[in-house]
Amino acid sequence: MSPGFDEDTILGKAYDARLVRRLSVFVAPHWRPLLVAALLLVGAMLTEIVPPLLVQRAIDGPISAGRLEGLAPIFALYLGVLLATFALRYAHTYLINRVGQTVMQDLRVTLFRHIQRLSLSFFDRNPVGRLLTRITNDVDALNEFLTEGLILILADLVTLIGIVTIMFTLNWRLALISLATLPVLALIVSIYQRLMRATYRLVRQRLAQINAYLNEQIGGVLVTQLFGRERASRARFHTLNDSYVEANLRSVLIFALFLPSVQLMAAIATAALLYGGGQGLLAGWATLGPLAAFILYTERASQPIRNLAERYTVLQAAMASAERIFGVLDTQEEVRDPARPATLPTPVRGEIAFHNVTFGYDPAEPVLKGISLTIPAGQAVAVVGATGAGKSSLVSLIARFYDVQEGAITLDGVDIRDLPQRELRRHVAAVPQDPVCFSGTIASNIRLHSNTITDEQVRRAAELVNAAAFIERLPGGYNYEVRERGANLSVGQRQLLAFARALAFNPEVLLVLDEATSSVDTETEALIQTALERMLRGRTSIIIAHRLSTIRHVDRIIVLHQGRVVEDGSHEELLARHGYYYRLYQLQFAGQGLAPAAGIPKG
Amino acid sequence: MTHLRHLLPFVARYRRRLLAGALCAAIAAAVSALGPFVLRLAVDAFAAEQFAAASLLRYSSLLIVVALAEGCFRFLQRMFFSGTAFHIEFDLRAALFAHYLRLDQAFFGRNHTGDLMARATNDLSAVRQVLGPGLNGSATAVFTFVAAATFMLAIDRALALMVLLLLPVTTLIFVLLGGRMRAAFTRVQDQFGALSTRAQEHFSGIRTIKAYAQEEAELAVFAEDNRRYRDLNLRYVLLSGLLWPSMTLCLGVVAALVLFVGGRKVAAGAMSVGELVQFNAYLGLLAFPMIILGWMLSLYQQAAASMGRLVEVLHQPPAIASPPRALPLPAPRGAVEYREVGVRFTEDSAPEMAGRATPWMLQDVSFSVPPGGSLAIVGATGAGKTTLVGLLARVRDPDTGAVFLDGLDVRRIDLADLRRAIAYVPQETFLFSLPLRANVAFGVDESDAPDLEARLGRAVEVSRLVNDLHQFPDGLDTLVGERGVTLSGGQKQRVAIARAVLRDPAVLVLDDALSSVDAHTAAQILAGLREVMRDRTSIIIAQRIATVREADQIILLHEGRIVERGTHAELLRLGGRYAAMYRRELLAAEVEG
Repeated sequence: MSPGFDEDTILGKAYDARLVRRLSVFVAPHWRPLLVAALLLVGAMLTEIVPPLLVQRAIDGPISAGRLEGLAPIFALYLGVLLATFALRYAHTYLINRVGQTVMQDLRVTLFRHIQRLSLSFFDRNPVGRLLTRITNDVDALNEFLTEGLILILADLVTLIGIVTIMFTLNWRLALISLATLPVLALIVSIYQRLMRATYRLVRQRLAQINAYLNEQIGGVLVTQLFGRERASRARFHTLNDSYVEANLRSVLIFALFLPSVQLMAAIATAALLYGGGQGLLAGWATLGPLAAFILYTERASQPIRNLAERYTVLQAAMASAERIFGVLDTQEEVRDPARPATLPTPVRGEIAFHNVTFGYDPAEPVLKGISLTIPAGQAVAVVGATGAGKSSLVSLIARFYDVQEGAITLDGVDIRDLPQRELRRHVAAVPQDPVCFSGTIASNIRLHSNTITDEQVRRAAELVNAAAFIERLPGGYNYEVRERGANLSVGQRQLLAFARALAFNPEVLLVLDEATSSVDTETEALIQTALERMLRGRTSIIIAHRLSTIRHVDRIIVLHQGRVVEDGSHEELLARHGYYYRLYQLQFAGQGLAPAAGIPKG
Repeated sequence: MTHLRHLLPFVARYRRRLLAGALCAAIAAAVSALGPFVLRLAVDAFAAEQFAAASLLRYSSLLIVVALAEGCFRFLQRMFFSGTAFHIEFDLRAALFAHYLRLDQAFFGRNHTGDLMARATNDLSAVRQVLGPGLNGSATAVFTFVAAATFMLAIDRALALMVLLLLPVTTLIFVLLGGRMRAAFTRVQDQFGALSTRAQEHFSGIRTIKAYAQEEAELAVFAEDNRRYRDLNLRYVLLSGLLWPSMTLCLGVVAALVLFVGGRKVAAGAMSVGELVQFNAYLGLLAFPMIILGWMLSLYQQAAASMGRLVEVLHQPPAIASPPRALPLPAPRGAVEYREVGVRFTEDSAPEMAGRATPWMLQDVSFSVPPGGSLAIVGATGAGKTTLVGLLARVRDPDTGAVFLDGLDVRRIDLADLRRAIAYVPQETFLFSLPLRANVAFGVDESDAPDLEARLGRAVEVSRLVNDLHQFPDGLDTLVGERGVTLSGGQKQRVAIARAVLRDPAVLVLDDALSSVDAHTAAQILAGLREVMRDRTSIIIAQRIATVREADQIILLHEGRIVERGTHAELLRLGGRYAAMYRRELLAAEVEG
């Protein structure tokens, strides 16, 4: 089941003062346009309740009196009011949305900035999908809160108060008659809302069941086909489909009952006005004009009450989203820049030293145990060891993706925790295990979005790592569109691009996680090998090696076993020792002597 | 637009209900037009100031009766239309699902699960919208228009014509604005997609971004995308914000004109106040239906597009299906033969090959396994082993050569019979969110297996699933999957083996199905399998030599061709790749131990 298909958001409070206070920090800078928007809306609400009054004036005035010429000013006023309503409404909508969109923009950038500052352990814990939901859906829910929640509730109140005031001014007895049905209407709306909410939850749950089943069946369709279970699957789907339709029919029934009852209430109100108003005409406390106006007002007064149910849900959703967004914003970054950063001696030479380093993703289970070693500037080192020996952790620590629990790592004698991360990573570049590609062009994949790397440098880097040849064959060359996740490039091409990227940034220290990929053809494999060799030259480099040929290019080999350095020396020295490296070499690399291109079979 | 005609067969079944709905709509519209008429009688009586208290009561109760009657018919109308829409959605969804189950792996390779899901959800609901709210709304609009128009024309022809000509302007505004809104909204959504993709790529590739200290540059790009998104949204608001105010304005102007022109007629004595009120009431009655009509048109367009996407799937012929005159295979013996089989890479698996003839994934593969024999296949990742064994159960068909079961080309055998003869345990174990028992018994019908319980026990025994049963809270009745327990890789594989064994197949295919099981248990399972598979054919893919050494025949695949074949002893003597693999395995055991 993929996320999102069965998430039934549980809604809680519709108003949480603490959350609203924190949100107001984002809204506060826009208080001026917000105030104007609110005033425009109040204005629109007020102009909207004028037309029935004009109808009353027309009927009681010129029409009853038979004065034709008296109608024209009323008509002109009517048109004026309509135009004013139009302008006020439109201006309000635009303004409030502009504020809403700008607040969303700020919130998204704030979230993005905060998330990307968080350390990798946060990304290990939180799937990308969840982070995306924060930045998209949750931020949108807050926008609705602003544009459709708070202000419209205010507007509904203004309308209701305005109409009630006019009614009582026109004729208090008729006002009482026509407002008599409103409590009943409110009751109907609240019952309807309660029933509908329960039914919608049922509909959503059953739809989620259908989707989960569908998703599972599409994923396992081959098993179903091979085991001849199509009929059973169809039968199960039929049951789910049926219960979904049943829940939906319940919602149709509720809605089909609700609408006519609301209209019946309106008819009863009109009938009551007719009856009461007629009595008033007979008794002399009412005239025909107000009666017509009242019939129109009764209809309008019911609208805000019908809206309430909807507004409530918007508020609830917004509060739930705000809770989640602030949850992310409150997450502390674990790897932090120092308050008073140290500076590296210039020029940076690239000497790396581990001083008794202990580290574990879970501190209770250390992956690296008391590592001490020094890598002089310009030396190329390969780190080897079985899976789980702590090789990747070693490299991640130098780039300060995580902080050590004990001991220290220094670059040219400076503790890397005393350096700003930006500064450190300008000198230490890591080529990750899985060659990552981004959608964009070939060039933007090499220089990322850095504006300090020229086209010439991009080209040179590509040439150095043997990527230039394939790039120039692509339509558009360096401007070739790379699709999401590099889907239109082969694994080998992606690997070469990752190398070119590392060289373009020209770091003093290079960290390479060299993944043995079986899907790379012999020719590309050879290109990768020479590229690697060129990259290592004259640079402090630490390579997690999987290939025999890589090992041949380095000056020194460090053997890790269960978090400790067990052997350290040149290839020949270690082989001569007939120890751990010797056996590992036989296991991992001996077979490659036979077929250098073939990957090592797993197992 | 023509895509919607594919909906006709689905709709035809319910034509009686839809007709009944339309009839209710017509009656409701006629009744609703009586309300304003009653109002007019009352107002005219008031204006003439000649009425008794008793007639007041009569008018009032008449109004309520009219509303009640209209309400009843509206209720029925909605039940008929919306209810039917859900039934049709049900039928469509069932048809779509049934078709998904028929389609081949190549189809599922080409189409993302997300997209197939979207068709079964969003597209279906778009089609239902046009059937439910769409038909319901247009029936209301059309009949109300006719009823109200009849009454209005009877009162005053000129005024009526003015209103009837002006009201459709609202519909027109909706359609015109709606079209431009949709275009603007598409741009908003595209930009939203770009924004999400950017964020998603950024978070997925955070290691790279951090490694090169590119956070600030990325933030700038994201902020720029964000700004564009905001601007496009505001451009959309410029249009969408216009919609309701212009509807209100348009309806308001018609109302004002009626007051002005009608007012003059009343003042001149050509019309009664009651008739003016009646006219006004019809305006109120028509306002909403006119707007609905515009909405209808946009629903219709969306539904046509969605139906197109549904038809695209529904009309997709499955690449793997039973041939027209399929040969039955009632008692399979299990003789397997591959004759000069060749398979090309598909374009999806080699994107850089798009448009060119793709290279061979398997070439010139021939072998045969007699009934009851065993064959093992070894080779590096990507050598084509999985594709090779998949040909037998027709996961796909070969591009050249043929595969035979019991001497018959598998493409001529009835597909259900063929697959019944073979139990295939794939590399990636797939468990359904069902109890363990149901997962194991997945391949058998409970109805035609009276001794199921005993056989199930035996399968659980052979697969050594029995070793772990005590770990599960409810034993075999423990629910598996997201809402139940999570099984380890080895446990999953053993469930899959039990599932295959329970089918009692003529041919058992294990595709690296013991990779996550520890060596000791794997040996136990193999011993158990040899027992139950004594008279059955077995084909095993494995990475561990220990798993395959007992096979009658071993073939080694390299770059799509068989490069070594023979028994374990023969291959060791040959001293080639197989022998090297074996040496490495022994060494590994030493290093790990």
